[in-house]
Amino acid sequence: MSRIIGIDLGTTNSCVAVLDERGQPKTLVGADGERTTPSWVSWSPDGTITVGTRARRQAVTNASATVFGAKRLIGRKVNAEDVAWFAKLAPFRIVAAPNGDAWVRVQGQPISPQEIAAHVLRRLRAVAEEALGEPVTRCVVTVPAYFDDAQRQATRDAGQIAGLDVIRILNEPTAAALAYGAHRVREGRRLIAVFDLGGGTFDISIMSVENGIFEVLATGGDSALGGEDWDRRILERIVDEVFDQYRVDLTGVPMALSRLREAAENAKKALSAASETMLQLPFLANDQHGAPINYERTVTRDEIEQLTQDLLDRVEAPCRRAMKDAGLESTDVEEVLLVGGMTRWPAVQRTVEKLFSRKPSKGANPDEVVALGAAAYAGILSGEADDAQLLDVTPHDIGIKVGDSGFSVIIPRNSMLPVRARKLFATASDDQKFVSIELYQGESNDLRGNRKLGQVVLDDLPPGPAGSVRVELVMTVDVESILGVTARELRTGKEASVTIRPSGGLSQREIVEIINRRRQESSIVARLPSEGGHIARVATREQPAVVPPDDEK
Amino acid sequence: MAEAALSIKLRCASWQQLATIYKRDLSRGSMFLKASTQPPIGTLVRIDLELPSASVIELQGTIVKHVVDPQRGTGVDLQLEPLPTKSVWMIENALAAESKVRGDAPTMATPPTRAPTLSDGEDVSAAEVDLIRALEAEAESLRKLNPFLVLGVGYETTDADVRHAFGELTKRYHPDRFARYQSPKLRQIAAEIFILIRDAYRRLADEKSRQQVVATLGHRVPTRAQTQPRGSGPAPAPVRTAGGMPRVAVPPPKPAGLEAPTAPGPVITQQQHDAPTNPSAKSAELAHTELARSSEPHLAIPVEPARAPDPKLLRQTPPGGLPTEKPPAKRAPAAAPAAEPVDTSPLEALIDEGKLDEALSGYRVLSKKHPQDRACRAGIELVEGLKALGARDRLEAAQRFEAALELDPSNERAARELADMRRQATNERKGLLSRLMGKKEPPP
Repeated sequence: MSRIIGIDLGTTNSCVAVLDERGQPKTLVGADGERTTPSWVSWSPDGTITVGTRARRQAVTNASATVFGAKRLIGRKVNAEDVAWFAKLAPFRIVAAPNGDAWVRVQGQPISPQEIAAHVLRRLRAVAEEALGEPVTRCVVTVPAYFDDAQRQATRDAGQIAGLDVIRILNEPTAAALAYGAHRVREGRRLIAVFDLGGGTFDISIMSVENGIFEVLATGGDSALGGEDWDRRILERIVDEVFDQYRVDLTGVPMALSRLREAAENAKKALSAASETMLQLPFLANDQHGAPINYERTVTRDEIEQLTQDLLDRVEAPCRRAMKDAGLESTDVEEVLLVGGMTRWPAVQRTVEKLFSRKPSKGANPDEVVALGAAAYAGILSGEADDAQLLDVTPHDIGIKVGDSGFSVIIPRNSMLPVRARKLFATASDDQKFVSIELYQGESNDLRGNRKLGQVVLDDLPPGPAGSVRVELVMTVDVESILGVTARELRTGKEASVTIRPSGGLSQREIVEIINRRRQESSIVARLPSEGGHIARVATREQPAVVPPDDEK
Repeated sequence: MAEAALSIKLRCASWQQLATIYKRDLSRGSMFLKASTQPPIGTLVRIDLELPSASVIELQGTIVKHVVDPQRGTGVDLQLEPLPTKSVWMIENALAAESKVRGDAPTMATPPTRAPTLSDGEDVSAAEVDLIRALEAEAESLRKLNPFLVLGVGYETTDADVRHAFGELTKRYHPDRFARYQSPKLRQIAAEIFILIRDAYRRLADEKSRQQVVATLGHRVPTRAQTQPRGSGPAPAPVRTAGGMPRVAVPPPKPAGLEAPTAPGPVITQQQHDAPTNPSAKSAELAHTELARSSEPHLAIPVEPARAPDPKLLRQTPPGGLPTEKPPAKRAPAAAPAAEPVDTSPLEALIDEGKLDEALSGYRVLSKKHPQDRACRAGIELVEGLKALGARDRLEAAQRFEAALELDPSNERAARELADMRRQATNERKGLLSRLMGKKEPPP
């Protein structure tokens, strides 16, 4: 059996790790010497696809065909609020797939975020195969703890497209804790909080670590809050200023947007260490008279902190709720782990310190720690490591519809996996013939705020007055977060059951089509000289890059 | 026992059949009998269960239900009396010995009705089938235990010990441990086991909830006799011992765990979150089982323990912390001391020297002289047991030691031998699981 690699598929950067001979996780370094790979994919005019740093370098020259942040789109609907925001300022076009999913249009072809993520995964796979000198087919991929079923499944699908068997989707904060705690053997129980603010998502997990058991007590977060939001605020400020001064709307200029994005991110990074920095953007665009716009000014950390205070405020509620769910006071937490690049931002650290009344730990490299944890977990699953075990939880309440739009929780969020719960129902009317049980996921008391997962119908109920016929509902969620539901009438023992296979938006047929198309492309690549070591793929332009959805034909 | 109105002979032609009956019927304390004419409910039925080895086990039960089922046919449901420990012993040993002979895993043979075949027809290696069996047996035994026994902790334990026990079991049974196997069934059973373990952990996590659980177990806890009052031998801590004990739960009719007051409309009437296979009512059932078991004046030590306990845990359980600490002076009538104690120490010395035949004749002479002295008769059983052990007949040996203890619960040597056998079986079981999972286990 081949080795199982651990992959941190990030919004901005991705990383791959594996257990070394001594059973310690280590990150694998690509041919270009980088420990992380930017999650960027670029299509050059001749159809060549580049991934990683090289793709990122094309952001300015080839802005509309250079895609990043696919993780913000994967498994999402295009009309979701944060997707709409992202679309507004992205230099590439975000379009709606027939089912309403957010896709990207590159060179006139719609491409699913799963495919884009697959390019990144394939790249990481190549890095691993090169470093290990053996084929790699299996992996553990991390996702934000707050990802819902659709986002998780879409991530799995991306793995399948990349030829990787995703044997487990692992939550990022849990992975971070595993990497962090694995080499810290200490007697007794330790309560830790993992504060994970990455490029596009925010997660908070409260865990107990003892004797190799990593038990998640509670988890929460915001799947649409991350470092890129800070960048965007800086970017928006510049766009506004340019508009005020020159009456030019830069949001319509992809190249300018790409440059602004990069400048904003650099400024943010600089301001993490310094209190002020210089923004210099010569020849950003042309003004109404055709004269070049040279943007240049000093920004201070104070200014950006003020500009982004509301973003920072958004981390507090999930933290408080997670503490409450875990049944702890903020002072009970003995250690706070910072994960994700955005935790380098001083204001974030101050907020964490305020929330948990203690200084957070910054020891581990926040960019790699998640991948290291994924590799450690891969070791557990493959049997290489048997001194640790993760106990993860359900991130959302799972329940059923009661009444017209009421939501009754059956498996509360933060239930340790695998979990099973039952509930008894009685019929509502005399001689009721059937019951239909609709399953929902989410935190809202009102059903409409939650996501429907499916339903189970039990018919041919025995006759009897209202309340006399009882139906037992058993819900299970396995370690892979697959939900199974069985309804059973207690007197006759008649059963109906359903397994909810989450959909990531792509059907299995579509996935297979994408894989087949890639095979054809690869056979062409085989006859072409590979370009400079990076993954070069030539798509035959006659073939559509994606099967056009029916209504677009 | 009252005179039975009906008497039935039931012959098991094969061990497989016995295993099926045992697992399907006996271990649940009920049995379905096909019958074209249905005797009235409440009729006492006596069943002579003949094992393939020709020994007979007597079962007694009451008809509780008339069944007309297209699948099972017409017949009656029997509620069985609790099986005497000795009978349980006999069946378990017979099954264990039999599977040993066949070179099988020393777990209970799986009845054909629940053969580990996979629904999706996936090809599963023989090793995985063995592992499935081992896990199924494990799940089966854990289901019958109270939370303390599931985790293998004493009744007076600490939060840290509970967490530690939970952690160790988690590392062994979490479904992730079986991720590398093909069979999804394996992970499914592991999940079942893990849910049991987790549920026990939840219920024992803090002192207050432990008190509550102890309360539901009631007064039975302290009545468990400690076999070894003189306490120099390596007898396991009482709770651990008990952990291996209730192999055959003889529960009352299925508790109405999920029955709830009816309410109009599809409203939730009752919920058991995280306690699926162990609804709260079940603890009552378990408690009942406990009672039945602990009224036995001796330890039942099956060849297969309920599960492989960590030797570390074994040691950790503080016997002193248990209510059983008080000298077990009052025991079943069997333990009533003889009027004049007979000095058997010279014979014990002979045993220690390994001169079993001499010791045996010595005991026989003494026994003739003092027919009332239980210690002498226990001595005979002990020596016979030791001889059987020498002849590698573990079934016979276990029964002899068992008999010795029944006659004289203070027979230290018999208790020690039984404890050793049990420990050995435990290690075998543990070794089996490790071997099946391809791990190297440090030699015990």
